[in-house]
Amino acid sequence: MTATSSEHTAKKPADTRNTGPGRLLIAVYAVFAISATARAGYQILTKFSEAPLAYVLSAFAALVYVVATVSLAKAGRTWFKVSVIAVLVELIGVLVVGALSVFDAVQFPHETVWSLFGRGYAFIPLILPVLGLIWLYRRRPAPRSA
Amino acid sequence: MDAYFYIILGVGLLSTIICVVAGILKKAPNDVTILSVAAVELALLVYLVGSIVRVIAGERIAGEAWEFWGYIVTALMLPVAAVYWSILERTRWSNFVLAAVGVTALVMAARMNQIWY
Repeated sequence: MTATSSEHTAKKPADTRNTGPGRLLIAVYAVFAISATARAGYQILTKFSEAPLAYVLSAFAALVYVVATVSLAKAGRTWFKVSVIAVLVELIGVLVVGALSVFDAVQFPHETVWSLFGRGYAFIPLILPVLGLIWLYRRRPAPRSA
Repeated sequence: MDAYFYIILGVGLLSTIICVVAGILKKAPNDVTILSVAAVELALLVYLVGSIVRVIAGERIAGEAWEFWGYIVTALMLPVAAVYWSILERTRWSNFVLAAVGVTALVMAARMNQIWY
């Protein structure tokens, strides 16, 4: 991997997404996976009854980040599909939860990663899936016939 | 916010700026960028040792103690992981991974300060 990394992009389009910009993407996803998991775990263990819906969403978001991190790091067609689904779910999640937290502050009074479109995290949760989809598109597996 | 936070703020921002500039200049991770991340690790270690001393001296953490220690231990692992990764792939993109350590560390230090006081 290390010896041929400079040439393998040009020669054979290897079915991987963990080099170049993808590395940065995976690193940011990993940080979100860790922080979201820790936060959701903390919320559920200490104050779950206060806002079950918000904290279940927190846990779900954490799971999505973990799946996205792992699948982006893996090579192959199947992991590519897993990545696309995870990143799409993330995008829909941040948009839906973001909108709900703006319009229905009663149901969503408690903080999740995706509340207010990820404002508590410098809007990175909103930007990340867009960058993820762009990266996945540029590194999509070649057609099966090729 | 205490002195520990401001040390990490300074070192973290400096490290991030150095690594981003190196990445923009299309440089592979080098001694300068890796040492700047090492400086972030050092600043976090100072925070850790300082915090242990304060707890032994009888100071109380206002928030959840285990949340504070969880944050600091996680923060301490980030520079190590980023440097390890930058050695595996020596391209300009690894400099951006290294750059992420500084800002992440300062955000986590801000949260640690909130928990402590």
